[in-house]
Amino acid sequence: MALIELQDVSKLYGFGDATTLALDEVNLSIDKGEFVAVMGPSGCGKSTLMNLIGLLDRPSHGTFRLDNKKVSQLRPNQAAKIRRDTVGFIFQSFNLLPRLTVLENVSLPLVYKGMSERKRLKHASEMLDRVGIQSREYFLPSQLSGGQAQCAAIARALVNGPKLIIADEPTGNLDSESSRLVMELLSDIHKMGNTILFVTHNPELTRYATRVVYMHDGTIIHDEQTAIGSVATTARKVLYTLPTTKEEDDLAGVSTLMKALPSKNTSRKKGRTAVSKPKKNKRTAVSPRKKKS
Amino acid sequence: MAISKGHIRAGVTAVRSAKLRSFWTMLGVIIGVTSVITVVAIGQGIKQQIGGQIHKLGNDLITIRPAQLHGSTGVKNNGVNVLSGLNVTGALTKKDIMSVAQTPGVSASAPLTITTGAVKSDVETYDKGFVIGTSASLASLLNQNIEYGSFLTEDDMGTDAAVLGAGAAEDLFDENVPLGRSFTFHGHEFVVRGIFNRFNTTPLSEQADFNKAIFIPNDVAQSLSNNTAPTYEILARPKDKKQTAKIAAVIQGTLSKNHGGQDNFEVLQGNQNLQSSDGILDLLTRLIAGVAAISLLVGGIGIMNVMLVSVAERTHEIGIRKAIGATDRQILSQFMIEATVLSLTGGIIGIILSLIIDLVLRLTTNLQPVISWQVALLATGVSLLVGVIFGTVPALKAARKDPIDALRSQ
Ligand SMILES: Nc1ncnc2c1ncn2[C@@H]1O[C@H](COP(=O)(O)OP(=O)(O)OP(=O)(O)O)[C@@H](O)[C@H]1O
Ligand SMILES: [Mg+2]
Repeated sequence: MALIELQDVSKLYGFGDATTLALDEVNLSIDKGEFVAVMGPSGCGKSTLMNLIGLLDRPSHGTFRLDNKKVSQLRPNQAAKIRRDTVGFIFQSFNLLPRLTVLENVSLPLVYKGMSERKRLKHASEMLDRVGIQSREYFLPSQLSGGQAQCAAIARALVNGPKLIIADEPTGNLDSESSRLVMELLSDIHKMGNTILFVTHNPELTRYATRVVYMHDGTIIHDEQTAIGSVATTARKVLYTLPTTKEEDDLAGVSTLMKALPSKNTSRKKGRTAVSKPKKNKRTAVSPRKKKS
Repeated sequence: MAISKGHIRAGVTAVRSAKLRSFWTMLGVIIGVTSVITVVAIGQGIKQQIGGQIHKLGNDLITIRPAQLHGSTGVKNNGVNVLSGLNVTGALTKKDIMSVAQTPGVSASAPLTITTGAVKSDVETYDKGFVIGTSASLASLLNQNIEYGSFLTEDDMGTDAAVLGAGAAEDLFDENVPLGRSFTFHGHEFVVRGIFNRFNTTPLSEQADFNKAIFIPNDVAQSLSNNTAPTYEILARPKDKKQTAKIAAVIQGTLSKNHGGQDNFEVLQGNQNLQSSDGILDLLTRLIAGVAAISLLVGGIGIMNVMLVSVAERTHEIGIRKAIGATDRQILSQFMIEATVLSLTGGIIGIILSLIIDLVLRLTTNLQPVISWQVALLATGVSLLVGVIFGTVPALKAARKDPIDALRSQ
């Protein structure tokens, strides 16, 4: 039975001439226990999809079932409660509250559950132990390294015992060593039976996933199961066969990854210009740094 | 999990960064609460002091004064004008003094006649006070003891004897007990017979400061000034307390006849005096307290402004809190609590501050402010209310933020 079930889900931003179709009739079903990597060029709708699945946002059209409950049009308060009890968020920029200590940050979701202070601090402390930074309990987030901060954020995401963990580019702000640390941690959590969705621009990180979903222009263009420990085949193709990113491609907003893929006509217009965020294209699937001979 | 120095430092830094801002936020409420409490306390204090004075003089004391002659408006003397009697020329006559003294049922009466002129001792020329002509009954009418010597007696009438207020004694002779010493006034040499105990002075009292006064027999005062010295007050006490109102009415009638039907004087009983000054004081207190309450309102608006800025600055934080499961209501109450804690703390600081101001006023002035617990409670309640009212707008703004927009703002 699927934990996440999206049927023809679309998301529109703005109105009139300025309308952006961020998601275009997406169908997606994710089972309990899957570890899904979501890839795609900048602006293709990955974050939009994550926000919808995490109930931070509502789809414009289509139905979304989470844990067999229809949640496409919930009121803000109901959505907040489901977020609190079922979803754990991990962000690219950690998003810890700067004025609270690490321990207080981690215990914050329990505050909204109404747990007593003693209990929730104990809980949070245990969680920090699990992610290996218990010694930093009374530090402020600004006193942590990026990797440690992301570990604290992971502890916060886990503290409520969520069914689903959503991580939007969790390693986007980290160096390769910290990235590895964070991915290993997520991998451990996955092994304990959690369902995890994460967005990444780094094909290498598909090693940790059991499934990779490729998006382009608001649609899912490829979806493959993959073995843990090896880079997904499509992503690998990008890595080994198309090592360069041409300037023209960058300007056109077309990533090398997309060229490598068999389906979908990339010139298809979606009510938004193809040149979306040229600046961000640095982070598209293949970076010259990752080139292997 | 040992707590290291670093842990403590981290905590202290976090609190201190918010503290200064919190203080500025509370400042308006602090000022508002402090001024409301202090104004009301001063008003209450003056009321009690005047009440105490009147209590000392006795409820049965009848005071006759020239009515203030403010043209034709006929405004009655309200008891607050400090030297009301001094502006009026001779509205009370020698005949009036006699009439009051001879009114049946009056046990004692005394005029107060202001006499001008230079007072000289062998040491000093005195110009800080004034010379008052009066009768032998004044000391008992005022319930004021003589500290040294004795007060003027019936036998002293027509002679050049004088009794000094404590302040006048010091100023005129550079000593506390100048009994038997003399000074000249209008060419007469007066001998000091006695010195009054120090009078309790009352702020806003209608009485001139008797501590600075020199008392001489009324008939001497009249003759020295060729009968031009104005009598600004006649005091009288009935034999029977219960008859006070009746006797006051009789005096009113007699004097009215003396003045040919013109009501250019007024007859007050002790408690009437109190009532009239109470009324004006209450009005004044309420007025100033009202103005101070407006500053409380301004304080509330201050809180609202700072909270609005704070909400805007913390949009990202709100986004994070919502993402990890805070409901709109939980965000709302977070900011409401912050606003009320700020305003309530401001209120409490205001109360403490007004206690300090109270103490300073008691030590440095003759005011004796009275802070009642009711006023303090009211101030606390009002500051709480201010927090709730002015915290609502920013809190609602925070609660209604869209989580994604909020997360995206940095
Ligand atoms: N609030 C919004 N208002 C208008 N358009 C939006 C909004 N949020 C996203 N979009 C648009 O929707 C599209 C998808 O955005 P999204 O953030 O999901 O991309 P992404 O795949 O996460 O990109 P990146 O890899 O750069 O994070 C983009 O074209 C973006 O401009
Ligand atoms: Mg994104």
